[in-house]
Amino acid sequence: MVDITDPKPTKKAASRRDFLKAGLLGGAAVAASAGAARAAGDPLITEIQDWNRYLGEGVDVAPYGKPSEFEANVVRRNVPWLTADPVSSINFTPLHELDGIITPNGLCFERHHGGTAIINPADHRLMINGLVDTPLVFTMEDLKRFPRENRVYFLECAANGGMEWRGAQLNGCQFTHGMIHCVVYTGVPLRYLLEEAGVKTNGKWLLAEGADASAMTRSIPMEKALDDCLVAFKMNGEALRPEQGYPLRLCVPGWEGNMWVKWLRRLEVGDEPWAQREETSKYTDLLADGKARRHTWVMDVKSVITSPSPQAPVTHGKGPLVITGLAWSGNGTIKRVDVTLDGGRTWQTARLDGPSLPKALHRFYLDINWDGSELLLQSRAMDDQGLVQPTKNELRLARGENSIYHNNGIQTWHVNNDGVVENVEVS
Amino acid sequence: MLKFPKSAAFAVLALATLSSPSLAEGDADAGQKVFKKCAACHAVGEGAKHKVGPELNEIFGRAAGSAEGYKYSKAMIEAGDAGLVWDAATLGEYLTNPKGMIKGTKMAFAGLKKDDEVANVLAYLRTFSQEAAAAPAAAETGEAPVETAAAAAPPEPAPAADMVVEKSQGAFGLGRKALPEEIAAWDIDIRPDGTGLPEGSGTVAQGEPIYTDNCAVCHGDFGEGAGRWPVLAGGQDTLRNDRPEKTIGSYWPYLSTVFDYVRRAMPFGNARSMSDDDVYALTAYLLYLNDVVDDEEFELSKENFASVRLPNEANFIADGRADEPHYAKSVEPCMTDCKPGPVEITARAQVIDVTPEGEGDENSGGSID
Repeated sequence: MVDITDPKPTKKAASRRDFLKAGLLGGAAVAASAGAARAAGDPLITEIQDWNRYLGEGVDVAPYGKPSEFEANVVRRNVPWLTADPVSSINFTPLHELDGIITPNGLCFERHHGGTAIINPADHRLMINGLVDTPLVFTMEDLKRFPRENRVYFLECAANGGMEWRGAQLNGCQFTHGMIHCVVYTGVPLRYLLEEAGVKTNGKWLLAEGADASAMTRSIPMEKALDDCLVAFKMNGEALRPEQGYPLRLCVPGWEGNMWVKWLRRLEVGDEPWAQREETSKYTDLLADGKARRHTWVMDVKSVITSPSPQAPVTHGKGPLVITGLAWSGNGTIKRVDVTLDGGRTWQTARLDGPSLPKALHRFYLDINWDGSELLLQSRAMDDQGLVQPTKNELRLARGENSIYHNNGIQTWHVNNDGVVENVEVS
Repeated sequence: MLKFPKSAAFAVLALATLSSPSLAEGDADAGQKVFKKCAACHAVGEGAKHKVGPELNEIFGRAAGSAEGYKYSKAMIEAGDAGLVWDAATLGEYLTNPKGMIKGTKMAFAGLKKDDEVANVLAYLRTFSQEAAAAPAAAETGEAPVETAAAAAPPEPAPAADMVVEKSQGAFGLGRKALPEEIAAWDIDIRPDGTGLPEGSGTVAQGEPIYTDNCAVCHGDFGEGAGRWPVLAGGQDTLRNDRPEKTIGSYWPYLSTVFDYVRRAMPFGNARSMSDDDVYALTAYLLYLNDVVDDEEFELSKENFASVRLPNEANFIADGRADEPHYAKSVEPCMTDCKPGPVEITARAQVIDVTPEGEGDENSGGSID
């Protein structure tokens, strides 16, 4: 992690603490140069810079463009100790570096169970079988001849925040909340495909299956399948990325990410759920009394302040400070986000900016004049169903600490006088 | 070379040279892709460490079973003691059929079936071996083995070439009717009531060696789990504990999930490689490891499968989140004087200190499985 004020990132050599120190020194340097400007003018202005004199690269250098080299620290990261092997693992979206509501394709977190399948779209097939009038096979070409829709949806892993059930653990919102992304999908309503095959009256469930080495499978109730599910082949206007299921993935809006089967190759209609591994052994929520909830599909109302946050400390000192974050709900749109600066004693309503779309990320801002005193920052979202984001302790009281999944508790960041931010929990 | 008759090696060499010398050379870039099949268990390149399998830097010229700090099978150590040294020929033979060459090897991988995959992955591994780099001539003379059968086999017929295509009768008329054999090839899911089970059977005793050869390397000899790979057995009566252990016996509600998952996704990195009888036998052995059955002669079959129940089935309940007090109250959230006094910090992430900061962070703070 590297301070963005450093033009030449030193990659992994610097520890976070070094980075924080550098950030604070950077802040001091800015103040000093402002002083220098008063004396002799800012050399960045008074002296001619290389980029102002010499030519840059031509249009043939980067047929597919990349972010600026000064953004090299804006990357997905993983937590090596979480899983046995990176081939069946997860990485995290750098939420603290992003703004707006759309996640760039290359930064969308990845979770797969048998590595990224590489499939030539010409070799891909989608089969519909089971309780249908006519079992069908579609090529990608077939699928692109159905009417399409464009929809913005968040995709959140049910385990997002799962490491925080027992207490504040990971120091960065990339790690505490980064199993989420939000893009605009282009695809065919699943309903059209099912109607093409003709679902029999006893067809109440759908099994979605991936073509990867884990042959991922999940049961989905037919009501949801016919409601708003999409079979998508584009994200943010371009083809799905391989790690996001190229050439075809299922979108199950508002529901846990594991159900959004990637490399989608088969849809089977049945009269009962299948009790697959990812809906029995995994993605079931163990309660304190030893019982476990299953079919916990909807992602609850949730929010987090993305900046300031542990990886995005306040480096500029007192004065105007933009507090910003994300809010979302699998039930619909976000109606309101409140922010507290004192750990939850008093709250003020933040400003929502940008599109407000159902089952999509929402961006909020609270613009304050920071006096340099300690802050205990929290955000609290409310959705259009009137559901309010609970505290972590309320969730623990209801479920215990072994649920792993569906932790939508209110996050607290402690900002100290120097602008350093830490993941904490409060009374 | 022990175990590998010279004549066979020569035959392979001759054919390789005749048919396609460029194939025998291999393409390191293509090999990097093939290596993904190996990467779950093997690391190679700068800083590579032993994982489930040994690291593969300088594998060319290395005596079998000799990488320091890796716990090999007895069979591999014996092969090394008997003089087996890894080169293009021996690695090629091993990668084509690991258990055929080293009976008793821990490597669960069934082998690479395509000659060009073997050649390419060897070319890739060669880039991490100085000895091989210094003497590339040997490799280029065609020592890399080429599976004779595969090399001689005619190319697969283009799919769907002579297939009778029946068009969709739906509103759009898009897609075509799926053939019964196509549905059979993909529709392998099993439900708790046994729907979808194939014909077949297997006993606990038959399952044990299959488990030892294919599963124990990650899941442990008794299902106790190696490293962070899933624990499969034990954990009974731990679900209310501070650290519950969720295994097939302690947590999973249905046996069908075991059969279904093993058949579709295991062994890790070599899915769909086991026969239905093997999966029955493995499932029976997992029941035995979990004390659900105690007779080594117990035979699991399509006929008796649905009668086997797992102990925790009754403990799965419906989603009750909507009834939780914090959602049920539906009142306007508090805006002022919401807490009696100044707020205290009760927990800090820095104290736990498990956030990744760079390379070599070995801290452990739990699992999300």
